[in-house]
This record gives sequence, structure tokens and C-alpha cells, in this order.
Amino acid sequence: MAVDVEIGAAGLERVGRLERIWREPSGLVGWLTTTDHKRIGLLYLFTTLAFFLAGGVEALLIRTQLAGPSEHVVGPGTFDELFTTHGVTMIFLFVIPITTGAFGNYLLPLMIGARDMAFPRLNALSYWLFLGSGCFIYAGLFTGHGPNAGWFDYVPLALKQYDPGHAVDFYALGLIFNGMSSTAAALNFIVTLFKLRAPGMSLNRMPLFCFAMLAVSLALIFALPPLTLDLVFLELQRNVGFHFFDPAHGGDPLLWQHLFWIFGHPEVYIIVLPAFGIATSIIPTFAKRKMIAFPLVALAELLVAFIGFGVWAHHMFATGLPLTTLIFFSAASMMVVIPSTIQVFAWTFTVTMGRPEFRAPLLFIGGFIAFFVIGGLSGIMFAAIPFDQQTTDTYFVVAHFHFIIFGAAVFPILGGLYYWFPKVTGRMYRERLAQASFWLTFLGTSLTFFPMHIVGLLGMPRRVYTYSGSLGWDAYNLAETIGAFILAAGLLVIAFNLVVSALRGEPSGRDPFHGGTLEWATSSPPPPYNFPVVPTVSSAYPNWDVHDRLEDARRLELGELVLEHGHETPAATVRDGTLDEILEMPSESPWPLAVGISVLLTFVMLLTAHYVTAGFCLALIALSLMGWHAKEPGE
Amino acid sequence: MSAYSLEARRAKPNGWWGMAVFVATEATLFGTIFGTYFYLEFRAPHWPPRGIEPPAVAVPLILAGVLVATTLPMWTAARAAIAGRAAAARRAIALALVVQAGYFAMQMQLFQDDLAKFTPSSGAYGSIYYVLLGAHHAHVGVGLLLDVWLLAKLARGLTRYRVTAVRAATFYWTFVNVLALLVVGAQLSPNV
Repeated sequence: MAVDVEIGAAGLERVGRLERIWREPSGLVGWLTTTDHKRIGLLYLFTTLAFFLAGGVEALLIRTQLAGPSEHVVGPGTFDELFTTHGVTMIFLFVIPITTGAFGNYLLPLMIGARDMAFPRLNALSYWLFLGSGCFIYAGLFTGHGPNAGWFDYVPLALKQYDPGHAVDFYALGLIFNGMSSTAAALNFIVTLFKLRAPGMSLNRMPLFCFAMLAVSLALIFALPPLTLDLVFLELQRNVGFHFFDPAHGGDPLLWQHLFWIFGHPEVYIIVLPAFGIATSIIPTFAKRKMIAFPLVALAELLVAFIGFGVWAHHMFATGLPLTTLIFFSAASMMVVIPSTIQVFAWTFTVTMGRPEFRAPLLFIGGFIAFFVIGGLSGIMFAAIPFDQQTTDTYFVVAHFHFIIFGAAVFPILGGLYYWFPKVTGRMYRERLAQASFWLTFLGTSLTFFPMHIVGLLGMPRRVYTYSGSLGWDAYNLAETIGAFILAAGLLVIAFNLVVSALRGEPSGRDPFHGGTLEWATSSPPPPYNFPVVPTVSSAYPNWDVHDRLEDARRLELGELVLEHGHETPAATVRDGTLDEILEMPSESPWPLAVGISVLLTFVMLLTAHYVTAGFCLALIALSLMGWHAKEPGE
Repeated sequence: MSAYSLEARRAKPNGWWGMAVFVATEATLFGTIFGTYFYLEFRAPHWPPRGIEPPAVAVPLILAGVLVATTLPMWTAARAAIAGRAAAARRAIALALVVQAGYFAMQMQLFQDDLAKFTPSSGAYGSIYYVLLGAHHAHVGVGLLLDVWLLAKLARGLTRYRVTAVRAATFYWTFVNVLALLVVGAQLSPNV
């Protein structure tokens, strides 16, 4: 267990100096120019939660429309916009940015004992790009051009002949925009994890959450370009007269699907891997023991991301690809079972072999494991080609992927919100209300998504805006809708709990759960410089190494590795994590916001076909980048 | 700060790693363009389609060779910067810039000549042909801007920040130059 030590006079003086060096401007200007990874993480958190609310409202509208047969809550056109925007929002504007942008940004530097990310201004830029892309996509919805061709936007439906207007353009340009943000964030995470780990944190001592984020970042770096290019092809074909997808001019509609799913399947693991990372943070804390099979779990996290690149065509089993191709992808898809199962056993054995304390965060992880196993089992069924060909485009698919990307991906996010709430706010949430919220959301999720398996097998196709009362689907659909509202109630309870606790919760202290990783070694909320003294690390659970933490306190008094003379953070060697140099880090800057606005203008001009003006906006980006680099760190 | 050196440091700087990851994602982008090029070719009965001549061989090959040769001055610039010799680094970058700008101008001319023969909207071949070349030319264009910016920065001497900038830009150019060979290879593949 970690230690609380009184800081002596010399230490206090050093802490005061750090406070002055790392202070950022207050008020709105401070938030607009911040490069503090924690503030950027909070910006991400609030923005993604707003999009979660929007996506949730869309989901409830969908479920209300489908509550009974022949309903007329919304018309078919609006229904198309709702399910497309729901998918795009939940994937690109909620799950990915909240896990990478909010959790990753806030926690990664703390977990590895760094004072900031490797590229603090790039970090700010990735937030502004994300915000811009989200507003861009939602501007489409509010101006009557909401994306409406499904989240995977298949051609030929998405071509100009069949989908005139700007709906698909908002989708395509918005996702290119969004991809720039994710690429910037992923690049930043990779370099931060490679270079800024605290002295002594060799790769094998890096927390499993960080391994998961490394896997996610690598997957983003290699998966986003095919999507970006696919979207560029689509825009060029729609608006400039190129030909990629129409057979009459030598194109091929399946090209869209290949490129989309080469991105789209790694994407599934990009969504779910951070959940694994959160699970491996929460489980050891509440089971009070180290993760079982630590190196295997780390490898499995990376392997999931890697194998994810070799399975894309299992989304295309019904498109008439050659049988040999199908068999290869079927076998590859089965392989994903191996790293997934390694992790499931490691999580459950760590819980059962520890002394588990089932507080709210661990309950959510329990729900996560249950949903992941169910969703995983229905996933294996799809790897069987004949089964897939029977059930493709039915509600069975909808059931499967919601068990994974809601049950398995979002439950750890909810558990994580509770788990790190004391760290971020310095206050405790209400435990009993939190446990009640778990049971509500667990019940709601099961009731919403489980009956979809059955209606799927009964033949209900996905994406239909209504159905006839004579098909025997009514009761299941009604149950799903009731489940969706129970789920929404559970989420509202969570929101209520967190808001009230943030205002009036009991002070939590530095380390209320006795966590093993370094974020618990500093005060709650952490100061702008994260740690008064750069921690040194000798195991994968450094906050449980009492001797090391006592040593930190001693070094603060002596002034060793306090770095109190500038905006500094240590850099380590990539593999062994030995101290290599002290880096002077950039401070707050208005330029990331300027670049973000210029990029937004560029996309607006592209959308409205003002290509020359778009060129001028590119020049604006270049000028902003020059301003960005005009002042060097330490000047 | 002309007597800049890298005494104790063993690992590559963050800026170098950042460029490495950026190059990885850009390489994937180009890999996808190449993949699309050959995917469309394998589905086409005639490639290029009837009525479009296969591209001329000599000039694009020579130009690619010239661009690859500028890797040498860029490497020289990076070495000089690491050793703290600002003037030498500036000279090497200026030399590279002149050759690269000449390459860029020639390619723009060829691009226009091609457009006079067939357009992107003539069919899938034209579409992917111009995307392939256009994407590479855009990368060369960005590299030229980087050179100019580096020269302006180095005019005021070297700092640790600028040394990293030169190393990162050199990495970028090495990537763009290797890519030139692959692009010209794909472009000329109908002649094989």
C-alpha cells in the first residue's frame, strides 16, 4: 500500500516553484490554449458525453419507432438518418474519443510517471479537430443533411445518383476530419509510451492499460488510412467525376467494402481494446492482487489488434467472393478466439484467486465479462460461413455487435468513470447508488439486446423502419424498447450520482482504492505537473512498492529529479526505460486552436465546392503551423 | 548555439519517433493506393483501357532517380546539424531544395501533359492514375515547404529543437524519395 508522508520545508519550496512554472492562464483563455493533458482529457470527456447523449436520444427514437408494428413516430427518411447518425456518433464521436481522448489523455502520463504527453500542442490539436469534426457531422443532421446510408455507407447507395444532396458528403468529409484527430492522438500516445516512461519502467513493467492503449494506437495508425482513402475516392466520384465504384467505367462497388472493412474490423478492436485496458486496471485493485499471466495478457492485447487486420472479409461473406477467400477469412476469424480467451481466463482467475471486493467499478467489469463472452460466442457463430450467409443483415447481427460494443466496450467505460472519479475530482461517488445504477444498466442492456437474437433468427432484417404485426415480432420488439428505457434510466442515475458527488461528495484522499498504478501515487486531483518528484519504478504495480514511494518523498527533500527549473519532463530509453535526457516541454499555445479552425474552414469549403477558397484555407493552416513553431520550448 | 552536441543521449528524440509513426501511417495510405491500383487493373480487360497510351518510360524514371539522389544532401544536412555545423546543414538543404524544386516543376509539366491526353473522369484507370501521382506530388510539395521553413529557422543558428526538426525532415524526405521509386514502378507497370 502506498504511503502518505509529510513534506518538509525544502520540499514545500520546490513544490511552490513547480506550481509557478506549470501554472496555466485561468478562465476561458486557459481552456482554449491549454496543453495540459488532464485538461484536454476533461475537454474530451465533456464533449464525448454530450455526443453520447445525442447518440442515446437517437437510439431511444429508433426504439420508440420500433416499439410496436406499423408505428409512425418518425418517417422512413428520418429513420435512416437516425440509425446512421447513431452508429457514426457512438463509434467516432463517443467510444473512440472517450477511451483514447478522455481516459487515455488523462491517465497515460500519470500511469507512466510523466508530466505531460510527448507532443502537448499536438494533443490540444487532436481535441480541436475532434470537436470540429463532431460539429461538422451534426451540422449535417441539423440542416436536413444527416448521414443516411448506414454507418458503413455502402456504394452504390451512397453514390450521387441514389443519394443526392449533401448527406453522404457530411459523412465522408466529417470522417476524414475525424480521422485526422484520431491519427494525431494515436501518434502522440505511441511516442509518449515509448519515450516518456518514468525511470525504471521498462516495457515489461508498463501497466496493462498502457499496453491496451498502445495496441489501440497502432491499430489506428494502420487502419485509418484505408478508410480515409475510401472516403476520398467516394468524394472524388460523387463531386468531381472520378470513377472508382461504378462497373460501367471500370470501377467496382466491392472496392468500397474491402477498403471500408480493412479499416472497419480493426476498428471493432479499437473500440473494445481500451475496455480490456480499463478491466485490467480495475480488477487488480479490487481483487487486491496482481494480474495473473501479466505478460500473456499484454501480448494478447497486442495480438488482438494484429489479428484484427486479417479478418475483414468476414463482413463480406454474402457478397459472392470466391470460396477459397471466404475459408481463409473464416479461419483467421476463429483465431481471434485465442487471445480473447487468454484474457477472459486471466481476468476471471485474477478475481477468483484474489480477495475481491465487489464495489461498483468491479461490478461493471463483471457485467463486461458476461457481455463479452455472450457477444464473443455469437461472434464465433458468424465465422461459420453458412450461418453468416443466413443471418447477415438480420437483427442477430445487431444483437451480436451491441453485446460487444455496448456491453463489452461501454460497461468498462462506465466502471472507469466511477473508478477514476475520485482521482479526477478528489471526491467519492455514492457507492450504493452506483451499485444500483449497475444493476439497472445491466438489466436494461440485457433486455434491450438479448431479444434481438431471437427476432433476428425469426428473420427480422436490420434497418427496417417498421414491420407488420403479423410476423410474431411484436413482443420481442416491445421488450427491447422497454429495455432501452431502463438502460437510459440507469445511465441517468450514473450521471446524477457523478454530478452530485462532484459537488458534494466526501473528500476521497489520494488513493481511496489502494490502486497499484502510479496515478494513485499523486494527489487528487493531480497538480498540473502531475508528480512533485519524478517517480522511479521497479515493478508493474509501482504504487504497491512502499519503499520506492518513500524514496520519492526523500528525493523531493533532496531535490533529485524534481526538475524545478523549467517546464521539464524526463525521457527514457525505449525498451529499458533508463533515464536518457531531460526534455523542455512546450507551454500553453493558441496555435492548435488556430489550426483546428483553419481545418474546419477547409472542410466547409470542400463541402460547399469552393475549391479555390479551400486552397486558401490550406495556406491558413500552413501559416498557423509556422506560428506554432515560431517559439521554441525553453525560449 | 553552434557548439551543440548530443552528449549523453542514447535514444532517438521524440520528434524523430513522431515522424516515424507519421511515416508509418502515410506508408499505409500509399500502400492502399497501390492496392487499389492493382485491384482495379486485375478487374479490367485492358489496362490502360483502349485509347490511352501506356505512359512514356524514360522521363519519369530519370526524374525519380534525380529525386532519390537528393536523399544524400538531406542526410548530409542531418549529420551536419547533429554535429552542430549550422552553415553546412543550410548549404546541404539549399542544394537539395534546388534539385527537388526542379523535379517538382518538371512533374507539374508532365501532369498537365497527361491531363491533355486523358482525364480522371475517363474511367477507373485515369482516376487511380491521377490519385497516385497527385498524392505523391502533394507530398513533394509539402517537403519543399519544409525545406524553406528549415532554411529560415537555421538562418538563426542551431538549437536542440531545430536539430530534431532537420532529422525529422530528413526522415520525411527519405520516405518520399523511396516512395517515388514505388510510384514510378506502379505508373510504368503497364509497360512491363
